[in-house]
Amino acid sequence: MVKYTLILTALCIPFTGNAEEALIEGNVQSKCIINTDINGVYGNPAPDKLSTKSVDGGVEPTIRFDVAIANYYLARVTTPSSFSTSPSLSDVVNWTGTTTVGEVSDAGMSAYDAAKVTYDTTSEFDLTIAGSTWFKVDSVATYGFGRAFPGGTYRAIVQAECIAQ
Amino acid sequence: MIKLFFIAALFLAGKVSAHEMTPTYPPLVPSYVDGLVSAKMTMFNSRKDVDYFEIGVFDDEWNPVPFAATAKILRVPHGSSKTFEVFVRHKDKKRATFICSLSKLRTDSSARAIVSSKICSRTDGALP
Repeated sequence: MVKYTLILTALCIPFTGNAEEALIEGNVQSKCIINTDINGVYGNPAPDKLSTKSVDGGVEPTIRFDVAIANYYLARVTTPSSFSTSPSLSDVVNWTGTTTVGEVSDAGMSAYDAAKVTYDTTSEFDLTIAGSTWFKVDSVATYGFGRAFPGGTYRAIVQAECIAQ
Repeated sequence: MIKLFFIAALFLAGKVSAHEMTPTYPPLVPSYVDGLVSAKMTMFNSRKDVDYFEIGVFDDEWNPVPFAATAKILRVPHGSSKTFEVFVRHKDKKRATFICSLSKLRTDSSARAIVSSKICSRTDGALP
């Protein structure tokens, strides 16, 4: 008799238990992350030329901007206009540079290139779509009027900025 | 094609190095020091080639605004985050628009970084 009572009681326990709720909370906040996916390398296709273009033997720096929410940030990329490290140079260096949209996580981001604003050596992109955009940077330096760059290490800085708007 | 993209992204993930600063719109609130307002920021660094970041406060014309912080050059080692407070005089509260962090690159020739990253948050709460 006692055994039956115990079994019956045990069977009843699960049905009398209280249900508990597990809460999952999340928060999406605006933020911008700048990723330097590839650091560039200057190629030296001619004695007077240093270039990051792949056709010139260089490697284009690639910078990825990740934004969590659309329309909160501007991306600004400034190509170099001087060397941060170089041998002593006695002649003028002429700089050209362009920033273009490479890979995109959303097809609509391809329109960034057409809408970009360029001034001096800076290109400005309005990040109107949430996701990731890869920007490729070309930088070309030519020395004097056909003069050969002196031997040594050359470095220049690309500035990538993410500005809240 | 999409699969290939994700596989490529996975391989790249090990090399990626990032700089992040939040919040985007930090409020300047009264601090425990009289006459000062402050904003609390958090920075995350996954750039192996960068250990130091320079903090700056600017107005809407990008002129520097006087400020105080634990340090103007912050050490944020690779893979770590740091929370810091920026103090601005109450009289500069309306003028201070941007709080920025700029990665500092080493000048020695062994350093390979050629990308300097800068992230700016807005303190005037100008939502788009």
